[in-house]
Amino acid sequence: MLLSTCLDIASEGTAAESLAAYEARVATIERVGPDIVLVGREIDGAIVPPRLEALLTLPWLAGRISNALLVGVIPALHAVPFHVARALSAIDFLNDGRTGWMPVWHRHAEIDRAYGPSYAVASDEIAPKHDDFIKATQALWDSWDGDALVIDKASGIYLDSDKVRRVDYRGPYFSTMGSLNAARPPQGHPVLVRDLVAGDEASTVRADITLLGGDTATVEREANRLKAEPGLVLVKTQIRGEETGMPLDRALALVADGIVDGIHLVGQPSESDLAAVRASAVRPAANGTARAALGLPTPVNPYTERAFA
Amino acid sequence: MSANGRLHLWAFLQGIGFYPGGWRHADATPKAVFDRTYYERVGKLCEDSCFDAIVFGDQLQGRDAAGRTPGRLAIPTLDPFTLLSTMAGVTSRVGLVATVSTTYNEPAEVAAKFAALDFLSGGRAGWNIVTTAHPNSPMNFGETELLEKSLRYQRAQAFTDAASRFWDAAADDGSTAVTTHDDWFDFDGALDMPRVPQGRPVLVQAGQSPDGRDFAARTAEAIFCPAPTIEAGQAYRNDMRERVRKAGRDPDGVKIMPGLAIILGATEAEAQAKQARLIELADVGLCVEYLSESIGYDLTVHDPKAPIPLDDIVATCEFPVADVRRMFAAAVEAETLLGDFCVGYAGKPRGHGIFCGTPVQLADHMEAWIDAGACDGFTLQPAFMPTELELFCAHVVPILQERGLLRQDYHGPMLRDHILGAREYA
Repeated sequence: MLLSTCLDIASEGTAAESLAAYEARVATIERVGPDIVLVGREIDGAIVPPRLEALLTLPWLAGRISNALLVGVIPALHAVPFHVARALSAIDFLNDGRTGWMPVWHRHAEIDRAYGPSYAVASDEIAPKHDDFIKATQALWDSWDGDALVIDKASGIYLDSDKVRRVDYRGPYFSTMGSLNAARPPQGHPVLVRDLVAGDEASTVRADITLLGGDTATVEREANRLKAEPGLVLVKTQIRGEETGMPLDRALALVADGIVDGIHLVGQPSESDLAAVRASAVRPAANGTARAALGLPTPVNPYTERAFA
Repeated sequence: MSANGRLHLWAFLQGIGFYPGGWRHADATPKAVFDRTYYERVGKLCEDSCFDAIVFGDQLQGRDAAGRTPGRLAIPTLDPFTLLSTMAGVTSRVGLVATVSTTYNEPAEVAAKFAALDFLSGGRAGWNIVTTAHPNSPMNFGETELLEKSLRYQRAQAFTDAASRFWDAAADDGSTAVTTHDDWFDFDGALDMPRVPQGRPVLVQAGQSPDGRDFAARTAEAIFCPAPTIEAGQAYRNDMRERVRKAGRDPDGVKIMPGLAIILGATEAEAQAKQARLIELADVGLCVEYLSESIGYDLTVHDPKAPIPLDDIVATCEFPVADVRRMFAAAVEAETLLGDFCVGYAGKPRGHGIFCGTPVQLADHMEAWIDAGACDGFTLQPAFMPTELELFCAHVVPILQERGLLRQDYHGPMLRDHILGAREYA
């Protein structure tokens, strides 16, 4: 069973106090050892001040958390594919292929207004813009083949020029020429995680990992639907109370029945609660990238395929 | 122990170092730049030597020339924020300066990212504010035309002002709405950011043109520049100090930090032999690609032993034709062969000062520049990584500290503390 949780803290006053609380929470997570950790400003649809921008936090975190897949929550309606593709390439290299990304499309009127009027997207355009953002970002990763870098001092060959190209992606919202000025990430593409929320059926993007929320009937229905597709499914749950997620015992029953692959603990569970869940579901340590460890398929680079056709 | 020192050191650690052929040197570690441990080690090294800051440059375009990516040039342009955040995780004093363009970004996005870097590093973030002029960059961001130069600087000023409003709002209360309605930006919203320890990141600039120099004079706390000679350094520093004064700011609060490439040897002859080797490692094929990237035209299809094919170049090159013609004019007149021109061009990269000699000679060089008022310190560009940086830290830093030029310890935790020095704490 996979165990996922969020890196999140309550507001703790000054910057120094917040950083100390943040570091303490990171240490707790490292001691417990979940399989997946979500990081970002938008968690469960809310943004609160002590949370930090994901792409800046992931590299800082990489040296502090071993083994877990670190997933950055990316605001798909505000972010720019070129910048995101670039950063996640570097992060995946520096984090030894243990990087994921979770583009989210929650609406926050205040933040939309902080970006400017062009970021206020009509409701029927949200899913298309989200999908276009993901496709444009993935296209930039495909501008490099996984084996483009040679780095041979003796011959003086740094890379194979035939394995890097402009992709000239043109979508309804994003256009980007490439090539990306960063190599294809070690995982091909970082693991794509999706927080399945209302309205998501309008999206055509296939995720590697899907988080399911809602009542038991909804989760079971969606989980059975997703079982037919490749990828992993986690159910959102919480250890105490049931304000935002399914009760833990129900979630564990779904895991035991093979309906879902693991649980995602919402909120800020205590170390003892986290450890108790972890103890009931220890996974063997795995070497290699997160994608390999989780048994997820390697993304196909259409340009590489064409080259071999 | 003295916490003061007249000399400020910054480390510019882009890619594999200053020399295009440096990645091929026997001691270079070109594969390590994809490893986290490399950045952790280099970050600690700079901190142990009391550098003000580490800075990474940036580009917003693929490294190809007309679609062909060079095969012999080392181009590991990893995202600067990622590298600096990695270093923030293992250091506690050294400043961390990211180069970020104001041309293809939004103030809200950049404000949130620097807030995160400053928060995670405990107040050590700096922003090297640049504008983007590469002809292929607009196409990566859904646009087709570059902004004209003076407009780029107008946008840079408006962008910096707008981002600063977000940081100021975070200092009060993260949820305060920020309003900007000007020629460039139109927004009225809040980011809900954490408080930024330094209030704002340290602002850094590299102004060269009159527009760039005036922008730097109004905004920058440290300024990079090329200064190949001591006279060029003096002229630039005097000009900038005057502009800073005219902008109503204290010139002593703005550090002028010319780039300096370094090649060190135990003897002068050893250093010179190393430099000769670095130039030799940039073979004709590499140099042809180096120039190709600089003009946006694939020269590898031409014979390097033939004359410069200027008509072919100007017919399709991606950089402005007038600039490209100017670059080649004298060589075409002299009937220089293509390969020879490329080797000459790649042999003296980017107009920066190059020091080649012993540690004592380098310390003398630095002291002479400081005494002459030619700079406030140097932005070091090691000839190749990590060897030249390691040699500098092991052999030059102790001399500078012994002479009282370089601090022996940090006196404050934040980047702005390092730049301003203890004077401000009296």
